[in-house]
Amino acid sequence: MSQFQLNGRPVSVEAEDDTPLLWAIRDDLKLTGTKFGCGIGFCGACTVHLNGRAIRSCITPVGAVAGQHVTTIEGLQPAGQHPLQKAWVAAQAPQCGYCQPGQIMQAATLLADFPNPTDAQIDAVMAGSLCRCMAYVRIRKAIRLAAAEMRAAAQPATEGARP
Amino acid sequence: MIKRMVLGLLGLIAAAVVGLLILAYRPAIDPIEPPSATTFSPALVAQGEVLAGAGYCATCHTAKGGAAYAGGYAMKTGFGTIYSTNITPDAATGIGRWSEEAFRRAMRQGVARDGSHLFPAFPYQHFNQVGDDDLKALYAYLMTREPVAAPPREPDIPFPLNRRVLQAGWKLLFFRNDAYGPITGGTPEWNRGAYLAEGLSHCSACHSPRNGLGAEKTGADERYAGAAIDDWYAPPLNAANRAPVAWTKDELFAYLRTGATALHGVAAGPMSPVVHDGLSKLPDADVMAIATYFADRFGAAGERAAPDAALAKVLAASAGGGGPVDHGANLYDAACASCHYNSGPMPLLVRPELGLNSALTAADPSSLIQVILHGVAVDEGLPGAMMPGFAQSLSDTDIAQLASWLRRSRTDQPPWPDLDRQVAVLRTQSESSRSTH
Amino acid sequence: MNASIRPDGKDDRLPSPARRRFLIGAVGTGFVMAFADASQILPGTPEQAIAEKVYDPALWFRIDSNGVVTVNVIRAEMGQHVGTALARIVADELEANWADVRIEHVDTDPKWGLMVTGGSWSVWQSFPLLSQAGAAGRIALVEEGAKLLGVAPDACVARDSVVRAGARSISYADIVKRGNLSRSYSAEALKAMPVKPVSERRLIGVDTQAIDIPGKTDGTAVYGIDAHVDGMVYARPKIPPTRNGSKVVSVDDSAAKTVKGYLSCATLDDPSGTVPGWVMVFADSTHAAIKAADRVKVTWQNDDTAGVSERNLLDHAAKLIGDASAGATVVNDAGVDEAFAKAASTLQQDYTTASVLHFQLEPVNATALQKNGIWEIHTGNQWQSLILPTLAKALGVGEDKVVMRTYLLGGGFGRRLNGDYAVPAALASKALGKPVKMICTRADDVRFDSFRSPSLQRLRMGFDAAGKVVAMQHDACAGWPTQVMVPSFMPKGKNDRPYDPFAIAGADHWYNVGAHRVRAISNDLANRAFRPGWLRSVGPGWTNWALECFIDEAAHKQGVDPLTFRLNLLDASGGNAGSAPNAVGGAKRQAAVLRRVAEMAGWGNALPQDTGLGIATSFGQERDMPTWVTCVARVRANRTTGVVKVEKLFLVADAGTIVHPDGALAQMEGAALWGLSMALHEGTQFEDGQVRDTNLNTYTPLRIGDVPDLQIEFVASTEAAVGLGEPATTVVAPAVGNAIFAATGVRLRHIPMRPQALLDALKKPAGPS
Repeated sequence: MSQFQLNGRPVSVEAEDDTPLLWAIRDDLKLTGTKFGCGIGFCGACTVHLNGRAIRSCITPVGAVAGQHVTTIEGLQPAGQHPLQKAWVAAQAPQCGYCQPGQIMQAATLLADFPNPTDAQIDAVMAGSLCRCMAYVRIRKAIRLAAAEMRAAAQPATEGARP
Repeated sequence: MIKRMVLGLLGLIAAAVVGLLILAYRPAIDPIEPPSATTFSPALVAQGEVLAGAGYCATCHTAKGGAAYAGGYAMKTGFGTIYSTNITPDAATGIGRWSEEAFRRAMRQGVARDGSHLFPAFPYQHFNQVGDDDLKALYAYLMTREPVAAPPREPDIPFPLNRRVLQAGWKLLFFRNDAYGPITGGTPEWNRGAYLAEGLSHCSACHSPRNGLGAEKTGADERYAGAAIDDWYAPPLNAANRAPVAWTKDELFAYLRTGATALHGVAAGPMSPVVHDGLSKLPDADVMAIATYFADRFGAAGERAAPDAALAKVLAASAGGGGPVDHGANLYDAACASCHYNSGPMPLLVRPELGLNSALTAADPSSLIQVILHGVAVDEGLPGAMMPGFAQSLSDTDIAQLASWLRRSRTDQPPWPDLDRQVAVLRTQSESSRSTH
Repeated sequence: MNASIRPDGKDDRLPSPARRRFLIGAVGTGFVMAFADASQILPGTPEQAIAEKVYDPALWFRIDSNGVVTVNVIRAEMGQHVGTALARIVADELEANWADVRIEHVDTDPKWGLMVTGGSWSVWQSFPLLSQAGAAGRIALVEEGAKLLGVAPDACVARDSVVRAGARSISYADIVKRGNLSRSYSAEALKAMPVKPVSERRLIGVDTQAIDIPGKTDGTAVYGIDAHVDGMVYARPKIPPTRNGSKVVSVDDSAAKTVKGYLSCATLDDPSGTVPGWVMVFADSTHAAIKAADRVKVTWQNDDTAGVSERNLLDHAAKLIGDASAGATVVNDAGVDEAFAKAASTLQQDYTTASVLHFQLEPVNATALQKNGIWEIHTGNQWQSLILPTLAKALGVGEDKVVMRTYLLGGGFGRRLNGDYAVPAALASKALGKPVKMICTRADDVRFDSFRSPSLQRLRMGFDAAGKVVAMQHDACAGWPTQVMVPSFMPKGKNDRPYDPFAIAGADHWYNVGAHRVRAISNDLANRAFRPGWLRSVGPGWTNWALECFIDEAAHKQGVDPLTFRLNLLDASGGNAGSAPNAVGGAKRQAAVLRRVAEMAGWGNALPQDTGLGIATSFGQERDMPTWVTCVARVRANRTTGVVKVEKLFLVADAGTIVHPDGALAQMEGAALWGLSMALHEGTQFEDGQVRDTNLNTYTPLRIGDVPDLQIEFVASTEAAVGLGEPATTVVAPAVGNAIFAATGVRLRHIPMRPQALLDALKKPAGPS
């Protein structure tokens, strides 16, 4: 049995410690936005945040996250209105959509590390997130849109703090 | 004639055995009634707690999932597996009936209360540098732990090496009271660092190579020259260190204090408990003292020319990514880059830069392979961050090619030979050790 | 089965527009608007007809008293935003306010008729009917609105769900509440229905946000793998060593018994023959099912296909192609052999393509249960009408006892046209007597994939003394999905032998090449050794690779610029002139997209060292719904590493009317990158009865860093809307191959084109090409 924080709430699952976090989230905790793609950490569809950073939940045992903070796509922003989510809609990025929760979670970490990402930075950090519909052009575009919005949102706050 | 020769030989052997027995003989020290916890001042116990951390007592004296200090932790040696002892104050199975004198003798000479010799896996060669006051505090701390009944486990070492009496011979050959100090002659900070590193914290026990009988090599070039330990590799802490960016005092301090730095990576494997369990209770000044001592020991490696150029080179490789040229490069793009990619001018702490990590520059690939196989747990390395293991995801060939490509693309070191086999061996070893724990 | 589906995939169960009438009948608080077969005798009023469902339910929508228009969609949503495109067509003619339009993806029901999503047909097939339906609805609303406003209908204008007459107006919602829309239009009236002129279109051709997208960004979108039914047991299959020829000898689950949550396992008894040799492992969680299945040991008895590898398949293909009597002649002009015999010179080349996996990101899965005598199959699927009869046979029930619940598809790409994965889930549920959710790991999914068959093609061209093309023959041999899965779909060739139309489409091109022969050959060994699948664009994926590389080689042989060479052959004469309704303009339109893309790409301009442009073109999927498409690739080759960097892809498509431009662009982007992936990055090999690569550690589809610059343009057109999901897929590989030749002088004739292949070719001493 493992206990951890999921999207800000304490949860406890009966699953064996070696159960991948992915299946604990999907089967036990019934949040299905996190997807199963390859099971070996190579496609990114299962990406969630562990203590705020992207991690592949399909190869992370649930026992390894005991006591930690896990965030899924459902918890990125309660109303689904994170700047990345808005940008994904604005850019009409998803096709089949199956990989997109993972793409968005990975992109959140990308922007945490590189708030104004270059194409090379986007390509490298997002390389582990496979989109089989190959909606990559729009994923790049959406990331840039979100980055701009997030920078703009950060800007007035700093300026407003000045006398 | 032959009969006489045989008799003579037997006589000689008998004399040698008697000699060894005489040499080995240590009297038992009288048992005591376990002292009550109230006999130790809280301040002394608190000091002992810090020191117990700095000596990693709990790390080696706690079995996986077992009660703290109750022993049973398996240590693989070249001769077999031995198990640490119970150092809780349990009267029957622990050290509850040990007087302070018995404790001091164990720490300084490697002799148990009953007079038997301890295996040198217990680093009394280093602990004999610990001062009386510190020993007193350690004793106070241990004697105030919760007693746990846990009988010692016999070592899985074949006869006759499992005979404790033989340890006397080992001591005769290798045990020198002053082998590791006292080392003085530097600034007070340097001296303090040397006292901790060479004594209680016994850094060279892992970072120095050992001879065929398991004794640390003590030659000037051999000390801290790096060594295989517990299926990992402890990198050199001397001029032979190959870190692309020099280990400065500040870098060492940050690494030992937090478990990670942007320029040198994270403390994984056996080094993780050193930082997170061991040194964590030491005051900053003591950690800085150890950093000061090693910055000096690194010598040339600490003052490497043009670290900026080395850094730039590594970061260029990191920014360049993998690409279709190589299977290893493909694997890196798909499985590693999302967390490990960096682009200049400085790597990010939260994106451990593989090209800067000693695991990649080391002569021995074990540490890199271990991390790829098993990852880095959330309480290891950079606190709160974790890397999942890829043991189930990647074949031996995959891991070998990934490691090989990383080494080729990010270091000037020669290729690691026979990587496929090394991955297979480490995978098997960890599977068997996992199944026994 | 499928007797009513024509071999070209169109459903003649749907009455043609000429034989339809249109009904509007009150239902509940709104009105249903639907087509009905004009030959049927209607029971009384439209209301009764609607209530008794004698209308053609495949094409209907309803409008309720709040003015909300709901368009039902029988197509699978797998990334093409099909519901949005179809609803736009209705709403435009209806003059409905787009904000009030909803879509509903329906479960299977015999009343829907053929349910299939593939072949890039969805918009093309539905466009005319949906337009007429919308127009009929609009006219009824205007008539009733006029009545309620007390004015003449021709004084009224409908716009944004409101009928206006000068300053007075009434909303659709109020008309529905107060008016009587009940109507029945005859087939003749419907035919005369004034569909709006193109200039009056307000939604078609205008960008909008796809209705399905927001749910795909916040985790609320529900795919087949997300299905949950109470009391379900989890199951994972043991995939046998061969697709068709394995029998279970023994099952040993002793090692699985230590897995917490493991329940049992069962050998599936499959009367439909879909999944021979399958064992299902049951557990109380996905993880336990995965872990337990790893520990269940099954011994199989296999047939000879367990020893078949890619080399055997290609050798077999070579033997078949070498046999002049093999295969079906799809095109067979008079005098082909004579023309070749008389030709002043000829060119012949062989081309191959590797096995390609679907690797749709959601591994196949299905949840099955029996409820009140009805089997429910919960899964995402592209061709429900194909698998329903098989499911019924497997379960031993009538087709009316099986219903497929509709879910989003985590990728289709043709994998889910073949619904074979629904069968083991159903059998498992039957065996266990409980609801079963079958999960496949990625490796299971790949080993069970109906992947794209490897192919071998031989192309030959004859030239007269002046260099004019006088003869051409194209022989293509591959595994045939349609033969394996829907033999009734196969038309007959000129020599009266059936063939898989999807496995040869593309070879029947629009170039005028003199006497022309196309021979389609089924690789029967492939058909036995695995289940060949339809994979995005199917046959054109290999036929266009060969054809467009070969045309390039022919141009170079003749010393003619490859663009000019193509334009010369696309003279739109004779059989290539094109015809209404779908192929108006014929080869002229293909020539036009070629000219345009050449202009965009700066064809003929000087380029840096080791950089080259390559061009390729296609008419998409089928001659009678051509999507004219063309691509120029600009590549830079690294002679040291063999790595080919695709710097830019220029694409131009003429797909007639574009309903949802942004959605169309997305389809072009995705299709082009699929094409690039298959050109350079992905491909596997069949080895001893299985594909070699079962996961992403060794199977390497294109990733984001491999994406070149894309410049995509659509020809502005008001011609019939045709398909866009696939055509761009097939032009990229030959464009890249031709560009590599332009950059390096090396001709590669196998996809994927790996760096090693280029290196090997560069090392060879230069010889006569």
